[in-house]
Amino acid sequence: MKSPRSRPARIVAALLMGGLLWLATPAVWAAPITGTLGATGSDTMASLVLRWGEALAARHPGITMQLQAGGSSIAAAALVAGTTRLAPMSRPLSRAERERFEHRYGYPPRELRVARDALVVVVHRHNPLRAITRQTLDALFSSTLACGGEAPIRRWDDLPPPLDWPFGHVALHGRNQASGTFDLFRQRALCGGRFRADISEYPGSSAVIAAVGSAPNAMGYSGYHHLTPMVRALALINAEGEAIDPTPETIQSGEYPLARNLYLYVNAAPGTPLPPAERAFIELILSDEGQQIVRAAGFVPLADEALEVSQN
Amino acid sequence: MADASLAYRYPLAPFYDVVMTPPSPAPSSLRTLKDRIATGLITAAGIGVLLAILAIGVFLVWETLPLLTHFDTLSLEKLSPLAWGTLKAAIAALVLAVPVALGAAIFSALFMTDRLRARIKPSLELMEAVPGVVIGFVAGLVLAPWVERHLASTLALLLWLPLSAGLAGILWHLAPKALRRALSLESAGLWLLPWIAATAALVLWAAPILEQQWLGSDLATFLDRRFGIDYTTRNTLIVGLAMGFAIIPSVYSLAEDALYDIPKPLMEGAQALGASRWQALWKVALPMAGPGIFSAVMIGAGRAVGETMIVLMASSNAALMSASPFEGLRSFSAAIAIELPEAPPDSQTYHLLILAALVLFLFTFLVNTLAEVVRQRLRRRYQRLGGA
Amino acid sequence: MSRTSHRRRWPGDALWAWLCAGCVALSLFMLATLLTLLTVKGLGHFWPATLEELTLRSGEQMIGQPLREAPMPTGSATERLYFTGNRELTGADWRWVGVDEIVSAATPADVIRLERSPWGDFIGRLIALELDGERLTGDSAFDRISQLLALPPSERSGELVLLSPSGRGLVQPLSGVNTFVAPNALSIGEKTAIWGQGVWRFLSEGPRAANTGGGVWPAIFGTLLMVILMSVIVTPFGVLAAVYLNEIAHQNRLTRLVRIGVRNLAGVPSIVYGVFGLGVFVYGVGGSLDQWFFDDALPSPTFGTGGLLWASLTLALLTLPVVIVATEEGLARIPDAQREGAVALGATRLEMLTRIVLPMATPAMLTGVILAVARAAGEVAPLMLVGVAKLAPQMPLDAEFPYLHLERKFMHLGYHLFDSAFHGDDVEAAIPLVYATALLLVLIVLVLNLTAIFLRHYLRRQRGES
Repeated sequence: MKSPRSRPARIVAALLMGGLLWLATPAVWAAPITGTLGATGSDTMASLVLRWGEALAARHPGITMQLQAGGSSIAAAALVAGTTRLAPMSRPLSRAERERFEHRYGYPPRELRVARDALVVVVHRHNPLRAITRQTLDALFSSTLACGGEAPIRRWDDLPPPLDWPFGHVALHGRNQASGTFDLFRQRALCGGRFRADISEYPGSSAVIAAVGSAPNAMGYSGYHHLTPMVRALALINAEGEAIDPTPETIQSGEYPLARNLYLYVNAAPGTPLPPAERAFIELILSDEGQQIVRAAGFVPLADEALEVSQN
Repeated sequence: MADASLAYRYPLAPFYDVVMTPPSPAPSSLRTLKDRIATGLITAAGIGVLLAILAIGVFLVWETLPLLTHFDTLSLEKLSPLAWGTLKAAIAALVLAVPVALGAAIFSALFMTDRLRARIKPSLELMEAVPGVVIGFVAGLVLAPWVERHLASTLALLLWLPLSAGLAGILWHLAPKALRRALSLESAGLWLLPWIAATAALVLWAAPILEQQWLGSDLATFLDRRFGIDYTTRNTLIVGLAMGFAIIPSVYSLAEDALYDIPKPLMEGAQALGASRWQALWKVALPMAGPGIFSAVMIGAGRAVGETMIVLMASSNAALMSASPFEGLRSFSAAIAIELPEAPPDSQTYHLLILAALVLFLFTFLVNTLAEVVRQRLRRRYQRLGGA
Repeated sequence: MSRTSHRRRWPGDALWAWLCAGCVALSLFMLATLLTLLTVKGLGHFWPATLEELTLRSGEQMIGQPLREAPMPTGSATERLYFTGNRELTGADWRWVGVDEIVSAATPADVIRLERSPWGDFIGRLIALELDGERLTGDSAFDRISQLLALPPSERSGELVLLSPSGRGLVQPLSGVNTFVAPNALSIGEKTAIWGQGVWRFLSEGPRAANTGGGVWPAIFGTLLMVILMSVIVTPFGVLAAVYLNEIAHQNRLTRLVRIGVRNLAGVPSIVYGVFGLGVFVYGVGGSLDQWFFDDALPSPTFGTGGLLWASLTLALLTLPVVIVATEEGLARIPDAQREGAVALGATRLEMLTRIVLPMATPAMLTGVILAVARAAGEVAPLMLVGVAKLAPQMPLDAEFPYLHLERKFMHLGYHLFDSAFHGDDVEAAIPLVYATALLLVLIVLVLNLTAIFLRHYLRRQRGES
């Protein structure tokens, strides 16, 4: 072993190990030490909840937020099981989940609406198209035409209002099948039908925006808070023939057809006070600062009435 | 201790046994015991590791079994576009990568000085170290939008690159002797770099102008109007380019080894008998190293079939059955990566995706085994010829 | 060399050689292009860019950092993308401006750029600093601000009175400000200093604003921790398997087959290992562990979901062939005379292995482990199945008992790259950081590979001399 041959190798090894140890130390120092607030929640809301957590830590330096982001269904399961007391979700609890919760605890979970969100249909920023009906959307995206369209639409020239956009076929972009966005769009915009096979599927919403923003012949759908000036969101034409833009106001009021609520579920028996950390968290969310953070994260704050309902 | 493995190593076993008999103090019983225990442990660990490796195959087969009970046409319908996508991506990558990799292998094995080769080969092999996720990112978010805007330039570039190398050759032969000596053929792989960069820039400048003159619009629009060919941003061409980049180094490295290890007297003999280098290559080197090159291509194919991040990020992930190089695809590996974490265990999707993994496993394992067997045979052949 | 001395002209002779040379040049060219792209875009992002103040044809004033130009889809005009910040005022951080819209452009020195939370960057002008009822302006304000910014955010007092390019006033508390620069007034030296700070913050801080800002420290740390755990697992097993195959097992047809099998596993796609890890480690072993020991937490999984331990194990399995093959190569290079000598002097096999064979094979083993680490550091696909997280605010190593949390999810550089490029809130804002992350990842993997090459080279030369 003492042969000089292995010495450089050993020096390299020692340097490597030393370097790694040195790198490891700051993390040990930076680790949180005091009280934690655990939440298990949906992917969509992860950035929002983490921003709330940052603000909460600024208000009360003793509290640290821990978030496990999975899907909304994982959050619901964890809430029922009691492994988390806070469950931020991008959809309401299903009837079955609610029943399971009541069966186990004897009281319903406390439901708070905390923000508004929407799906938007986007095109290239210079595309002259301004608004689109649900039938047209369905004729573009689905192979089933469940919303009552007559024929599938493949080209920009074939759109019902004639459009000066000489870019041939409509290149469609959307999310992958496992995402909630995919499911919501399928139910609300395709009337529960099936997507065409040739839609490009991306494992993330911002990839959809990037793809649509770089190709003039593209159209896609994604979450409202991913919107950038690379693309333009289309107004949706409702049953009365009005074109509704996805603005904070229409999303807040629910006029925009693809709007949805974001929820926070809390496991709290009626009549008993919440633990102080949770109380502080909820107060923060429903405060002006909390709703500012909603806006900063790209979502839409609650309307005042909804906010009051939640505060009570 | 009678040692069968050592005895096997040495053909002169009887003599060896005599040598092995320890002349001075026989190992004490404690040392023998320790030795036995250690040997046992190593054997156990070794066999354990090998079993763990075997377990991969067993697991995949076991998890696909439930499919047998209710395998229907729906599953087939779901899997066939994925199989086609996988194949299409691999073919595109091989078509673009193999000529480049083999050309580079021939050049560095047969032309470069050993000194230069010792530098160039590791640099090219370093290409393999670039993580797939980085290549996928560049291909999906940088290359794909660029190619969409400059389709004609890209295709012109693909055509022009071989031509530009040939043109460089012609110019070199016409050049004065002093210049030829300064820029020798042996180091052409290096000094062609600025030449390629310059001519590529020229093509990029000229192509859009010619495109406007001849077609009146850009190529993608023209294809759509004239032939009704759809162009998807993240298409097979992009996947081929990106994955081609990723497999060039492995194909190059193995093919280069096969060519470089050809016993020197063979090539020298052929040239001494009056063959040109071209003839020596075609008549001697390629037939000799053929199996090695074959196995290099096989390894490349194995890698292309299983690569995940590049296909995931650079393709459109649309499960299509089209043959067009301008349309997207979805491969087994990408489908596994996005769908499997969300698929609950014991669901049909879960088992289908595991079946996809099994197909990937079997395919790559077979291809690699074939390549390895061929390579070992080739090595023995070289040893025979080299020793003779 | 005689191979190069016979040069006879055949029609095809000249041409094919040049084509082959072109292939070498092309491969090098592509590699160089990729590395240059990553370096320029990745490091350039931290350079404090000049801000332009524009007057548009509509009479509107705006300030922004020009990023790139693109032709309009129809017509021959071009438009330019500006980073404008001030999201709370304009609703977006970016703005496309038609180049022919711009009447005049200037780079005034008093324009400042703040990085703040929660609203992202502010670009505009500083009117005053209000501190304890005092109102500072001009250079004294600048000096005071840089003093205050050196304090931790919670101890800072004071507010900045700002003016947006469109003429709106704004009050920004200093506690929400991360950086404050006036880029147009900086000298090259100051810019370099700021650039250095930017790079350092990128390496040492955690991500902010949902991965669109801040640094990648948790991802670096997660990658390192995972890779260390993996090496701890893979080294003994890989070496033992190699010793077994080379020194103990009977060298027959079966051993040869096994050897081919092991070698081929290196070619099995990484995603297959990920599927195995998910099915066996996570759902199988992890699920059972949960039922036995973490019953009270069910149905919320503890070990039954992806985590650090399973990721390390999966990658250990993935890199096992690399270590086995490299170690075996090292063992095969050791002359049999060494073994014979040891045995002849009365050493048992264990003694022969530990005193003679293994020390001689150490560099080869080390090469194998480094190659394994390099492969694991760049591998993302299997991790997507067995344990990385988008954002893991809890480090897997902390001051809480038992300090190393094997069940926790962790961040990984490669996955962080994928995630910010595809999932981030604002892809435009994330892209520069993605370049920087990509550059960092490539550098780590390249350095590891170069170390392995150096070791192997050293090894060969040494053998050649002896």
